[in-house]
Amino acid sequence: MKNTRDTQTIFELSRSGRRAARLPACDVPEHNVADLLPAASIAATPPALPELSEPAVIRHFVNLSTQNMSVDTHFYPLGSCTMKYNPKRNERAAAMPAFADLHPYQPAETLQGMLQMLYEMQEMLQEISGLEACSLQPAAGAHGELAALLVAAAYFRDLGESRTKVLVPDNAHGTNPASAAMGGFDAVTLKTTADGFVDLDDLETKLDEHVAVLMITNPSTLGLFEPNMQVIADRVHKVGGLIYLDGANMNAILGVARPGDFGADMQHYNPHKTFSGPHGGGGPGAGPICVTEKLAPYLPTPIVKTLGDQFVLDYDRPKTIGRVRAFFGNVGVLLRAYAYIRTHGPDGLRRVSENAVLNANYLLSRVKHILPVPQGHRCMHEFVASASDLRRDKKISAMDLAKRLLDFGYHAPTVYFPLTVPEAMMIEPTETESKETLDAFAETLFRITEEDADLLHDAPHTTAVSRPDEVRAARQPVLSYPE
Amino acid sequence: MPYLYNTPEDQRAMLEAIGAGSIDELFDPIPAYLQLDRPLNLPPALSEMELDQQLRLLASRNRHAGELVCFLGGGCYDHFVPAVVDTIGSRSEFYTSYTPYQAEASQGNLQAVFEYQSLITRLTGMDISNASLYDGASAAAEAVLMATSSTRRFGKVVVPECLHPEYRSTIATYLENLETEVVTLETPTGVVDPDLLAAAVDEEVAAVVLQQPNFFGCVEDAYRVAEITAAAGSLLISVFDPLSLGILRRPGDYGANIAVAEGHTLGTPMSYGGPFLGIMACDKSLVRRMPGRIAGKTVDRRGNDCYVLTMQTREQHIRREKATSNVCTNQGLFALRATAYLAQLGPQGLRETANLCLQKSHYAAEQLCKLDRFSLAFPVPTFKEFVIRDAENQVAELLSSALDNGFLAGIPLGQWYPQLADCFLVAVTEKRTKAEIDSLVHSLANSETKVTAEV
Amino acid sequence: MNPEELSYAKTHEWVAVAEQDGAKIATVGISAFAVEALTDLVYIDLPKVGQQVEAEQPFCEVESVKAVSDIYSPVAGRVIAVNDTLPDALETLGSDPYGSGWIAKIKISDEAGLANLLDYAAYQKQCAE
Repeated sequence: MKNTRDTQTIFELSRSGRRAARLPACDVPEHNVADLLPAASIAATPPALPELSEPAVIRHFVNLSTQNMSVDTHFYPLGSCTMKYNPKRNERAAAMPAFADLHPYQPAETLQGMLQMLYEMQEMLQEISGLEACSLQPAAGAHGELAALLVAAAYFRDLGESRTKVLVPDNAHGTNPASAAMGGFDAVTLKTTADGFVDLDDLETKLDEHVAVLMITNPSTLGLFEPNMQVIADRVHKVGGLIYLDGANMNAILGVARPGDFGADMQHYNPHKTFSGPHGGGGPGAGPICVTEKLAPYLPTPIVKTLGDQFVLDYDRPKTIGRVRAFFGNVGVLLRAYAYIRTHGPDGLRRVSENAVLNANYLLSRVKHILPVPQGHRCMHEFVASASDLRRDKKISAMDLAKRLLDFGYHAPTVYFPLTVPEAMMIEPTETESKETLDAFAETLFRITEEDADLLHDAPHTTAVSRPDEVRAARQPVLSYPE
Repeated sequence: MPYLYNTPEDQRAMLEAIGAGSIDELFDPIPAYLQLDRPLNLPPALSEMELDQQLRLLASRNRHAGELVCFLGGGCYDHFVPAVVDTIGSRSEFYTSYTPYQAEASQGNLQAVFEYQSLITRLTGMDISNASLYDGASAAAEAVLMATSSTRRFGKVVVPECLHPEYRSTIATYLENLETEVVTLETPTGVVDPDLLAAAVDEEVAAVVLQQPNFFGCVEDAYRVAEITAAAGSLLISVFDPLSLGILRRPGDYGANIAVAEGHTLGTPMSYGGPFLGIMACDKSLVRRMPGRIAGKTVDRRGNDCYVLTMQTREQHIRREKATSNVCTNQGLFALRATAYLAQLGPQGLRETANLCLQKSHYAAEQLCKLDRFSLAFPVPTFKEFVIRDAENQVAELLSSALDNGFLAGIPLGQWYPQLADCFLVAVTEKRTKAEIDSLVHSLANSETKVTAEV
Repeated sequence: MNPEELSYAKTHEWVAVAEQDGAKIATVGISAFAVEALTDLVYIDLPKVGQQVEAEQPFCEVESVKAVSDIYSPVAGRVIAVNDTLPDALETLGSDPYGSGWIAKIKISDEAGLANLLDYAAYQKQCAE
């Protein structure tokens, strides 16, 4: 049922004097605030927060929630984001007080269960990646990239080598070059071929003893496994550089291939993707990194290790880069990932990737007659279709298709990324969707391509909001409710 | 038995449609010599029930803040989380959705972010808030990078010792491979000394990072620090405690240019230190240097008010190596929880919460200092935590004996400050009762002091 | 200004050179073709007065909703004036690109860059390709 009040902001709903929270009376002898704090530090009035009743708070946010599409309500084939179902057992695990109510500075003896879980996570992530050491500290994939590049910088500094360049293929996520720049490196763009693979000739011209790291996403953002992986790794290693694997697409290769075995020296995971998140409307994520033995001394501190039958935090790591955040890491996310990995086991994880790849290839086989997939008739966990023929023949763009899909109850695929494919639609069904869902999605896509272009230009038609004016938003930014 | 989303018959039909003989064939693009030729060496799969048992086993080896009485702080606090926050935070339309890039499918998240930004600007007195960053420490490091790039001063940043040591360490790590030097300012009195600060800031200094209240719980003379910083043309980065702003002046009031905070205290449990909420707000003159997502209000094609992510040209997915930061994810779920928390608390609730922290911590300090062996290390006004010096220099033994009595009594400071090896940091939130405080004092009073030498 | 009398860089900036107190001053803007191609502009990051610029190096940025484009200085020299009204009236870039949509005036220190510029006809030919 439509609720017309549901889009008023909490500031519009506020009425002076209304209250939701009741706090206990002060049970210690109370002093005047002015006797406890310097006068200049005391605010005359509290900040102008809205005043609402508790039912108003609940109704407001519950109604807002219904204006989202989500994995629990809709098929969400958003390429590169791995929007798989988030098992509820993970949520129950993370909510257990014995995990949620732990303080990071409690003595290790009161945290043995937590530390054991984290230790096992380190070990399991190492095994899945085929690398020898792990830091669970980074808070997100991009944070892991930065941490790993700083590890590389420390490693080369220790060797006395001055390496200033990080090579990044042109179809990589923007986080890769941004992390390189933030880490103090020059990001050098590597060309890719029409198939989306690293251009070996361009690599040859840009590879020298100043290259610290080559960052590669494999499987690539086009959903393809880099056929020259071994050659690339060998060449980079030959000049003394390191290979960083952007683990965004690990969902395709769990138990099938390991980055450490195909040449990576470092990688991050996106547990909120590969190990079932959830995504939380844009976070939290986590970005644990794994590295080879020689890079282990430089990892952020602390790391969990065993001492006899006890688990302890190891701070005695003189070569560490230090910290990239406060406290241990995003353990709430890691705990969900732990629950996910433990309930899948070695066979289950391989099945995850098998079915992710099966679903993607099946959907590709259904979609390619409607939307050509320029790169390859097979894919890994996702594929990039192109609406450029439709655009030419019927004036229907990838954006039109994306917006119209919302009317049929499907979240849109990722559009216009990567830039190397015109009118790109990047589709990642994930393993948790059924054949019926994929069939219905393909049929809907077909039906939309048969629709009148004008109808599509104005889509979506059924959502509360349609085609926001982004130019106005950026030209005259309104970034908060006026006070 | 692994989880099955498609039956074997479905799978066969799908393979047929693909034109593949087997699932293994789909992996042919990965050269055989790069494929793993054995199963992963991981523990066997558990059913949900077995997982539950395994987690209970692990849980039984933890002693959590609900079973111990928690007086630990240092950037992570045992504050109360109202039920409303859990209810809203567990709506799966919020927590199983992605970043709101597709505005029409994400108005719920986008409006929540817009409300979050609005609340943060009101809370801090700053012009602009972003949609959040990872945590307080990384937000402080991002603020430093923002300060160097906007002032074009890449020489130095001044960081007092009374800034959280892990925040200092994070800033140092972020700057390690860049040219900017971290100048650490000694704070022997527990607060920033205006003369020492004035001597340290010059035209090479991009920013001064001031924590208010600082790591030791002490309330700084923020106006004086702001004045000295501004006089040198440097930016003031304030690291604030969100709940303290129920009573204390806001960063915007005393002239901070960038304000950052650890926001978990607004409705997110301690969770062993993460995931948390990095709050960041700034002057409007700095908005183009701000890292992270920002939501804005606009209209749709029908003229209805709506919300979108905006000013995205700052971000990595557009500007790549020239972006303001590499940050992509925000802490959407915790920004939502903070929004619900502040909406539930309201101005009076915030003020009362802050006042309870202030009164109770003051009472605890007073009671502890009645014992001969204890004194305040820094005789300066504090907000919700304070540093106790043990005249008998037996901090480890004291804390360990308190633990035996069920108290997480404090954080030993010697691990970061060798000169404070005889000190520990005690935090008292609104959740602590007088009875708990009295028992803590009793427990510490009766702690057996071990004889140091067994000659 | 009459677009047919201006010089153009391959990167779509137009230039008008005038003598002033014995010095050569280049007025720089972006062509109507470029404004059209950049679609709805939302922001301009103007150069600073006094800033030294080099020929064929970026000295200004314009942004649309999802793209950032550099504007290159066609000449080497020092920025002596910028069009402060532009940030609040970006539509001027489209409505009067060769007049009130000018971006900056540069006191030329080295005329070498001028030799690489195209005349109107040559620039039109480039745009048509």
